[in-house]
Amino acid sequence: MNDAPRGIEVMHKGEGSLLTLLKEAQRRHGYLPEEVVSELAESLDIPVGEVYGVASFYSLLSTKPLGKNVIRICKCVPCYLKNSQAILETVEGELGIKPGETTKDGKCSLQLTNCIGACDRAPAMTINHKLYVDLTPRKVIKILKRL
Amino acid sequence: MPEQRIVLRNCGVIDPKDISTYLSQGGFKALEKALGELAPEQVIEEIKKSGLLGRGGAGFPTGLKWQFASEASGEEKYVICNADEGEVGTFKDRYILERDPFSLIEAMAIAGYAIGANKGYIYLRAEYHHLLGLLEGAIVQCEGKGFLAKQGNFKFDIEIREGAGAYVCGEETALMDSIEGKRGEARYKPPFPPSQGLWQKPTIINNVETLMNIPPIILKGSDWFNRIGTERSKGTKVFSVSGDVRAPGTYELVMGSSLKELVEDLALAEKVKMVQVGGASGRVIPYHLIDTPLAFEGVLGAGAIIVFNESRDVIDIVRRTMEFFAEESCGKCTPCREGTQVMLEILTRFCHGQGLKQDIENLESLANVMMLTSLCGLGQAAPNSVVDTLAHYRSAYESRVQG
Amino acid sequence: MLPLFGGDENLSVDMIPVTLNGTKVSAQPGMTILELARENGVDIPTLCYRPELTPIGACRICVVEVEGSRTLVASCHTPVAANMVIHTHSPKVLEARKVIVELLLASHPDVCLVCDKANTCELRKIAADLGVGLPRFRVKKRYHPLEDVSPYVVRDLDKCILCRRCLRACHEIKKADVFAIAYRGFDSKVVVDQDQPLNKSVCRDCDVCISLCPVGALTKREERFKEKKGPPLFIKA
Repeated sequence: MNDAPRGIEVMHKGEGSLLTLLKEAQRRHGYLPEEVVSELAESLDIPVGEVYGVASFYSLLSTKPLGKNVIRICKCVPCYLKNSQAILETVEGELGIKPGETTKDGKCSLQLTNCIGACDRAPAMTINHKLYVDLTPRKVIKILKRL
Repeated sequence: MPEQRIVLRNCGVIDPKDISTYLSQGGFKALEKALGELAPEQVIEEIKKSGLLGRGGAGFPTGLKWQFASEASGEEKYVICNADEGEVGTFKDRYILERDPFSLIEAMAIAGYAIGANKGYIYLRAEYHHLLGLLEGAIVQCEGKGFLAKQGNFKFDIEIREGAGAYVCGEETALMDSIEGKRGEARYKPPFPPSQGLWQKPTIINNVETLMNIPPIILKGSDWFNRIGTERSKGTKVFSVSGDVRAPGTYELVMGSSLKELVEDLALAEKVKMVQVGGASGRVIPYHLIDTPLAFEGVLGAGAIIVFNESRDVIDIVRRTMEFFAEESCGKCTPCREGTQVMLEILTRFCHGQGLKQDIENLESLANVMMLTSLCGLGQAAPNSVVDTLAHYRSAYESRVQG
Repeated sequence: MLPLFGGDENLSVDMIPVTLNGTKVSAQPGMTILELARENGVDIPTLCYRPELTPIGACRICVVEVEGSRTLVASCHTPVAANMVIHTHSPKVLEARKVIVELLLASHPDVCLVCDKANTCELRKIAADLGVGLPRFRVKKRYHPLEDVSPYVVRDLDKCILCRRCLRACHEIKKADVFAIAYRGFDSKVVVDQDQPLNKSVCRDCDVCISLCPVGALTKREERFKEKKGPPLFIKA
């Protein structure tokens, strides 16, 4: 049929699919360390490559260490029209890092994200799972101070 | 009046955390009616007669989809609610889920009864994790009141599965792979989900907004629904309006209302240059066509309306749109994986005034092939903004050709 | 969804009438368009498809025109249906195939003269058949370090066209699951474990993946830089 459904029996009957388990692991470790990916593969009896394939597919999963707070600034067109660039520059200035980087103290990671569905209140960003909307540079500075 | 509330009937009226407020608005009367008075085939017939078309963008007849799944052989069948609203500029499903999760649950139960499924999944995009608690609470309350419990042959169980950040998972086959725990890559069709879907079992996948129409159709009848809207587009459509407008937000209009009414009269846009209808994968409508009806006969998509004023640079917008697709392509098929990247390369050069004469022709032939040969809707729709702006704003491209 | 493909007509063992390039032919139920075409001596190019592997519909080089369909359809996975009218070499189809080959060549290294696959490269052969020379498009090349730690397989992933034949062959034929696909979009890559260079004990000298690689991405260590005997390339009329 389609790509061979490996390990499906395990995932089908288990409470969690592989994806759910990866998300859970990331919640626990902050990211997906190599050992965790290997252990998960072994416990589910799925090839390691396949687990890594899933882990590297989704933008919210990370196989590299992340900061305690992951700041994701929306870069899609509706936020861009509301000057998301200024928000990005403010965060970059405050934290001294560029998108894709983590502060030295491991407190914050900065990422750009595609549409997060808050276009009516653009510009928007999320920090971990919390949504922040109607952002202005001043507001962003306040939010970062509270982290 | 173009505005009419069918989908958003309870939004702002009920307390999404309290099922009693939903019940006092006639909540679960439709499921009661379906279970008590209608055979599953009659439910499907009613949805078919209503003329309801899918609201996720493709516009497939909902009743027909249900019929295929109902007729497919197999003990186990699934109902999936597609709440992976990832289209750029879309937030209407978020608005609905935030305000009326109960109607969605009732609708999924009705769908389950109709096709003979006792398991439903809500595939929620990870970016809407902040809604998870509310949705779970709503499911628990519905179960607590016994609405999903065994009644005759009917019993329904709903589970929420969260995505992990991938636009392509809004595509139904990629969505199913993602629920199965795999990479969200598109599968080829046929087989179609109603015959072989989740775990190869018959499955229907409906958008949040599509499902929201089900309870009122069952309660008030298909004739009532059929009288609203246009010849081919029945009912209403919910729009997410953003961009250069003074009143961004969620609006529900009768099908066939004009884009102008929505953008200028309701969302208060001024000096409009163009509107992207349907988000990144949608059509670009220049101002001189602003009277285009919002319907399947005109333009619609999933209802994302991004408004651009006269100060905006067309090519800059198109390049950003293409960057989105290049990042979100699953990478399985050649035209989408390579084509979006090639288009991005060309558009980036145009942004810097470094277009080449043959680029315009190349964009056109590449767009055509991507639309014709991509494996799924993502690659097929990715070139839309390029095609439309080449048609309406060709001089913007030509003025940036070197030499 | 096209109702054309639904239903249970496939249960019947009767032959299905189909029009292939203007000729009425009959097909067996369940057969794909590609199988029908090959049975009737019509040559449709393929890259990701192999008869011994499950189809995935990834490369899209085998697209054909089916009257009434909004898009072209990939012949390797689309089953024939009664009264289908199929065109395998219409101008629309040929143009699509050309563009797809050009897309694959655009990001492909320009090292054909020194490539181990030389005249046996399937991508080059298809490009030649379609009359594709220099691709119209420019795009970045992929860069992956050459993997030559394995005693058996040398992987040069700059040349990989992501057809996933190696992956399927290793899984379906050898049940070894050495390869997997990782990342997404243009960055997609056939990886080993967590993107480590191939050097696994489970990978022996079975050669299945190497023999199925359509391009020069996989080569046998001991046969590198040796003379290859392939049919001469020539462009079809």
